[in-house]
Amino acid sequence: MIWTIVKKELIQLRRDPRLMGLIIVMPLVLMMLFAVALKLEPKNVKMAYLDEDRSFFSELIKTGLWSDGYFQMYEVPDEKAIIEEIRAGRASAGMYIKKDFSDLLTQNRQPHITLYVDGTMPSLTTAMKYNSSAATDADVTNDMYFLDENDTTTVIADTPFIMDTEVLFNPDEKETWFFLPGVIGTLIMQIALILTGITIVREREQHTLEQLFVTPISKASFIIGKLLPYIVITLIDFYFILGVGWLLFDLPQPSSHLLLFALAAVYVAVMISLGLFISLISQTQQQAMFVAIFIIVPSILLSGFIFPIEAIPEVVRAFSYIIPFTYFVEIIRGLLVKHTLFIDLLPAYGALFGFVIVFVTASILKFKRTL
Amino acid sequence: MIQAVSLVKSFNKIRRVDEISLDVKQGEIFGLLGPNAAGKTTVIRMLCGIMQADAGTVKINGTSIEKAKHEFGYVAQYFGQYSELSVWENLTFYASLYGVKDETRLLNLLERYQLSPFKTTRAGELSGGYKRRLALVCALAHDPKVLFLDEPTAGIDPVTRKLLWDDFYALSAEGKTLFVTTHYMEEAARCHQLAFIAEGKMIAQGTPQSIKSALGDVHVFSVDLSYSPEMTSAIEAIEGVVLTNQFGENLHIVTEKKVSKEQLEAVMRRVKGEAVQLSLTEPDLEDVFIALTQGEAS
Repeated sequence: MIWTIVKKELIQLRRDPRLMGLIIVMPLVLMMLFAVALKLEPKNVKMAYLDEDRSFFSELIKTGLWSDGYFQMYEVPDEKAIIEEIRAGRASAGMYIKKDFSDLLTQNRQPHITLYVDGTMPSLTTAMKYNSSAATDADVTNDMYFLDENDTTTVIADTPFIMDTEVLFNPDEKETWFFLPGVIGTLIMQIALILTGITIVREREQHTLEQLFVTPISKASFIIGKLLPYIVITLIDFYFILGVGWLLFDLPQPSSHLLLFALAAVYVAVMISLGLFISLISQTQQQAMFVAIFIIVPSILLSGFIFPIEAIPEVVRAFSYIIPFTYFVEIIRGLLVKHTLFIDLLPAYGALFGFVIVFVTASILKFKRTL
Repeated sequence: MIQAVSLVKSFNKIRRVDEISLDVKQGEIFGLLGPNAAGKTTVIRMLCGIMQADAGTVKINGTSIEKAKHEFGYVAQYFGQYSELSVWENLTFYASLYGVKDETRLLNLLERYQLSPFKTTRAGELSGGYKRRLALVCALAHDPKVLFLDEPTAGIDPVTRKLLWDDFYALSAEGKTLFVTTHYMEEAARCHQLAFIAEGKMIAQGTPQSIKSALGDVHVFSVDLSYSPEMTSAIEAIEGVVLTNQFGENLHIVTEKKVSKEQLEAVMRRVKGEAVQLSLTEPDLEDVFIALTQGEAS
C-alpha cells in the first residue's frame, strides 16, 4: 500500500520539472551559500585612518595592519572625518595616530593610538578588535624599543605604545541593537511575501479567478484591490513590531521619524510587489511558498543582517547587492543606531525604490486577464 | 446572440480546438456535446473571454466580448465562489462588480433558487447542489442576456438536475440565451440546438433530431438481452456492424444498411442457443455520440 503511494509520488515528481528545481536546485544553491559565504572570515574591512606623525614607526603600524590583509586602509584629512566615514558606512573602522607619536616613542613614554570600531555589528566589532592586534605584534614592535646603554635607570615597558579601542555608536556592543532593526525587516519580508505570494495563486487554485475574470473588473482595480489590504496590514505590522522593540527591547529612537516612515513605505512596497510577482509566476500555493522561502533564506544570510557583508567573499557578495533586504538593513541601522546622514543613505533608498519599479513592471508584464 | 467564427486554440503545439464556428440564436438552449477532452471547456472559456483564442472571432450580442461583459454570465465547471464568504456576501460581491445595488432583486434571486435559508451560511459549507445554485445565482446577479454553463449538472443528483433544467427552460422562456456543455445524453436531448465536437473538431451540428441523422444510412436494432461478452464480440465481428451499445437489459446494434435483420438473428441464435427477436428502432443520441466519437478516433 505504502509503496504504491511512494511510486505514484515519484512519478509525479519526475513529471514536474518545477518541483524538481525546487527540491534539488534550491538546496544546492542554499548549501553553497552556507558553505562559501558563511565560513570565511571577513576580509577587506575598510579602515579610515589619519596619520599625523608620518614617521617610520607609524608606517610600521600601518604596514602591520595592511599586510595582515584584514583591513583595507585609506587616509582621511582630519580626526572628525574618521568618525564621519564610519557613520556613513564607508568604513567600519578607523585609526588615529597623533603627531607626537614617534617623539614619545623614542623617549620610551608609551604613546597612545586610537582604534575606532563600528559597534553596530557586535560580531564584526569583535573580529575587528581581534584583527587589530596585527598592529601590536612583535613584528611591529621589535624595532620600537629604545635602550640607552649608558642610562641604566631606564625602565622599558612591555609594550612600546598603547592602542586604545573606542567602540562607536553602540558602546556597550548590545546584540539587540544589532539584530532588532533587521528582525523588523525579516518579519515584514516573511509576512508580505507569504501573504501576497499566495493571494492570486490561491484564487487560481480555487477556481475563483476564472469566475472573476468573466466580470467587467479591470486589471488595475483587481491588482490594487488585492494588494491594498496587504499594504495596510504590513505597514501597521511594521510599526507594531517597531513599537514592541521600543517598549520591550530598548530599541533606540530613529534620527528622523519621517525617514523611518519613508523606509517603511518603500520597503513594504518592495516586498508586496515582489510577493505579487511570485503569485503571478506560480501555479499553486505550494510553489509560491517555495519561491518565497527561496528568497527569504538567502536574504537573511547575505544581507549583513546576521553576518557582516565584509565576511562574504567578493564572488558571492554580488548577490548581497541584488537583495532588497541588504539595503533595508543598511538604512534601518543608519537611522536607529548610527544616525547616518540622509545623503549617505540616499543610494540605499534609491536601490529600494528601483526594486519597486522592477517588480511592479514585471508584474504588469506578467499579469494577463485570461487563464 | 453568440457568434463564433473559426476558433482555434493550441496547447503545446497540439490543436485542442480546431476551426470551431457556432451561431446561437436568442432564447435558445444551445448544447455543446462531446467526450472528455474534446475541447468543450476550452470553447466555452474562449466564448467568455477568459481564454485567448489563437485565431477566430467571438461576438456576443453583436459586439466584442470586452464590451459585452455586462450582457453575459458564466458558471464554471468547478465551484468558483469564495468558500470563506457567506451566500449573501458572495452574491453581493459579484453584484457589485457589475454595479448592481438592487437588494430586493438579489433577495428574490435567493428565494427563486431556495437559497434564502442559507443566506448567512458559508459557501464552503453548502452541499454540492446548493453550491451549484449559488454559482448560478451569482452569474444571474446582473440579469445577463446570455448564460454560459460549463457542465452545470456534473455530479448533481437527479432531483436537483431536474430542478436546474426546469429553471433553464424558464430562463430560456424569459428570452435568455443559454450555452451549455454536457456529456449527459438525456441533457443533450433537452437542448434546442446541439453542436457535437470530438478532438477539437466539429462533428455535427443541428437540432437533436437532425443530429441523429448524422450517423448516415444505418439501421438500429434493439433487443432485450443481458450482457454477454461472447455475444458482443460475435456481433461486432460481423462485417458492417458499426457498434453495439448495452443499456442494462437492452442491447442496441447499429449496422450499415447491408446487414440484414436475419443475418444478425442467425449469428445471435448460434451464440445464445435459442431464437432471438430483433426489432428495428430509432437511434438515440447516445448511439450517435458513441458512433461519432469512435469514428473520429479511428
